[in-house]
Amino acid sequence: MFTRIKEFFDGTTLSLFVTMVLVFLYMYLLNGGKYVDSYNIRSMAYQLPIIGFLAVGMMFTMLTGGINLAIVSNANLNGLIICLTLSWLTNSDSLVRNNMKNATVAQVVIAIAVGVAISVAIGVFHGFMVAWLRIPALLVTLGTMTFIIGVNEAATRGYTISGFPAYITSIGTENLWGIPIPMILFVLSCIVAWLLLYRTRFGFSLYMMGANETAAKFSGVNIMKISILQYVVSSLFASLTSLVMIGQLNSIKANYYESYVLVAVLACFLGGVDPNGGFGRLASVIVATFILQFISSGLNLQRLDPYMVTAMWGGIVIILIFGRALIAYFRSQLKRKTLEGGLL
Amino acid sequence: MRRYFFNRHEWFLVGVLVVLSAVITCINPSFLSFENITDLLKSFTVLGIFSLGMFMVIVSGGFDISFTAIAQAAQYAVVALLMFRWASIGDIWVAIFLAVLFGLVLGCVNGAIIHFFKIPPIMVTIATQNLYYGIMYVITKGDLIHDIPLYYREFSYARVIEFHRVDGAPYGLTLVTAIWIVLGIAAALFLKYTRLGRSIFALGGNRISAERIGFNICLTTIFVYGAMGAIAGLAAIVDVSIAGSVIPNSIVGKELQIIAAVILGGTAITGGKGSIQGTFLGVFLFAVLSNSLTLLKIPSYYYKVFTGLVILLAVAGNALQIKRQEGKKVRVQVDEIRAGGA
Repeated sequence: MFTRIKEFFDGTTLSLFVTMVLVFLYMYLLNGGKYVDSYNIRSMAYQLPIIGFLAVGMMFTMLTGGINLAIVSNANLNGLIICLTLSWLTNSDSLVRNNMKNATVAQVVIAIAVGVAISVAIGVFHGFMVAWLRIPALLVTLGTMTFIIGVNEAATRGYTISGFPAYITSIGTENLWGIPIPMILFVLSCIVAWLLLYRTRFGFSLYMMGANETAAKFSGVNIMKISILQYVVSSLFASLTSLVMIGQLNSIKANYYESYVLVAVLACFLGGVDPNGGFGRLASVIVATFILQFISSGLNLQRLDPYMVTAMWGGIVIILIFGRALIAYFRSQLKRKTLEGGLL
Repeated sequence: MRRYFFNRHEWFLVGVLVVLSAVITCINPSFLSFENITDLLKSFTVLGIFSLGMFMVIVSGGFDISFTAIAQAAQYAVVALLMFRWASIGDIWVAIFLAVLFGLVLGCVNGAIIHFFKIPPIMVTIATQNLYYGIMYVITKGDLIHDIPLYYREFSYARVIEFHRVDGAPYGLTLVTAIWIVLGIAAALFLKYTRLGRSIFALGGNRISAERIGFNICLTTIFVYGAMGAIAGLAAIVDVSIAGSVIPNSIVGKELQIIAAVILGGTAITGGKGSIQGTFLGVFLFAVLSNSLTLLKIPSYYYKVFTGLVILLAVAGNALQIKRQEGKKVRVQVDEIRAGGA
C-alpha cells in the first residue's frame, strides 16, 4: 500500500499536487469565501470536464510522441453530425429552422451513435495515416483539422445552430444526486482511461511504443493496431466533449472552443507527459486540468479579462519549466556531492 | 537541370500550379492578367513573409506557434506608440525598425528558453503564445485602432513597377511584395553561403553531429527564433499597412495555415530538409487555390475544406514517395547481400 502511495506521488505528481494546492489557496485568498461557496464549486464542476476530456484524449496520442490537433474540431463535427441526423430524423426544413426539440429518445440515441461512428472513423483514419504512411501526427491532424473545420463551416454556413432536445441539454446541465452529470461522465471516463492505460496490453504497448517504437515492434507489438486504437480513443474523448459541449451551450458552431486544442496540449505538458513519448501519468494530467480550472475560475470571479486567464496559463507553464529545471539542477548537485562524499 | 533549381517535389508543385492555373484561365481568362497576379501576391505577402521565418525554424528542427502572438503584440505596441507617444518621429521605416526590434527580443526569449531548458519547442511556444497574446490583450483591452497614420497606407500602395489601366487606375508589383521576394532571396543565399546558415540545416539534420562538428548550437537556436520574431515584426507592419487598422485578433490563429504552407513546400517537419523555393511555391499554391475558388464563385465556406484536402494530399503523396524509395533501398541492400554471398 505504501509503495502504491509513493508511486502515486512520484516527483511530477507531487510537485503538481503541491502547485494545485498552492493555486487553490492563492485563489481562495484572492476571492475569499466566494471561491469556495457551492455556486462556484458547482460551476467549476460543470466547466472542468471539457478541459479534462480534451486533455486525457490528447494524452493518449502524446504518449507515443503523437498529437491530435483535430480533437476540438472533431468534437465540433460530432455535434454537427448529431444536429444533422436529428434534424433529418425530425423532418426539419433546414438546419437553422429545425424542430430537433421534438426528437424522441430513440432518435437522440441514433444521432449520438452516428456521431460516435463518425468520430471513430476519423480516429481510424488518423491512426492509419500515422502508422502506415509514417506521416508525423502533427501533419496528419493539422490537415484533418483544417478539413473538418472547413466541413463544419460549409455545413453551418457560419451560423450558430440551436434548439437541441432536452435529452441532450440535460447531459450538460442536469445533476444526479447533486453531482453534475458532466463530472460523473468525467470520473467514469477517467476510470476507463486508467484501466486502459495501466491494466491492459494496449496501455502497456502505448508506453512501450512511445519509449522505443523499434523495440516495441520487435517485441511483437502490432504497431498499426495500437496506433489506430489510440487515435480512436482520442476521438471518443472528442465525442464525450461534444456531448457535454452541446449540452451546455445548447447550440453548435463551426469552431467552439477552438483555442482549447493548445490548452489540452498545455495541460498534458503541465502533467508531465513527454511530448516525445513514453512518459506521463494519467493522475498528473488530471491534476493539471484542475490547476488550469482553478486559475480560470478564480480569475473569472475577479471579473478579470478572460485573456488574463490565457496569460496566466502560459505563465504558469513557463514558471513550472523554470521550477523543474531548478529541481533537476539541485538534484544533480546533491547527487554529485553524495558521490564525492562516498569517494572520499 | 532537373536538380539545379527545383528538386523533385518542387517540380511536382510547379506542375500542380501550372495545371491549376491553366484550368482556371480556361474558365476565367482574367486570372492570368498581370493585375490579378500582383493583387494576389500582395494579399498573400503577409503569409509569405511569415513563411520565410517559419521555414528557418522548421529546417532547424524546431517549431514555433508563438510567432503570430509576437506579430500581434509588435503591431499593437508599435502602432500605438508611434501614434500616441512619439508622433513626431512617426514614419514607416521607424515603425518597421521598432517592430523588428520588438519581435527580435520576444523571439530570442523563446529561443533562450528552448535552448537552456531543453524543452520541446512546441510546448515552449504554445506557452509563450498564451503569455504574449494574453498580456497584450489585457493591456489593450482588445480595443481596435482605426485611424492609423497615412504613411501605413502609402507604404502598401507604393509600387516598384507601375502600370495604368485604361481608366487610369494604377496597378503593378507592390513594394511590400518586392520586400517579401527580396527577403526570400536574401534568406536563400544566407542559408546556402554563410556558416550560420549552414549550421541551421546541420542542426535540423542531426543535432548531435552538428554539435560535434563544432557548430555553436546555442547561437544557432537563439538566432533562428530571434529571426522568426524579427520577421514576424516586419510582417506585422506589412499586415497593418494592408489592412488599414489594428485588430487585436487578426493574426493569431493563422499560425497553422502558415506552417501548412511551409510543409506543402516540401520542408521536412523533422528538420534538415527543404528549400526557400519550395516555401515560395507552397505559398503560391495556397494563393492560387484561394483565388481560383473566388474566381470560380465557390462560396468562401468551402475554402478550408479545400485547404485541408490539399494539405492531406500533399503530405500523403510525399509520404508515399518516401515509402517507395525506402522500399527500393531495402531491395537494393538485399540484392547486394545476395550478390556478395554468391
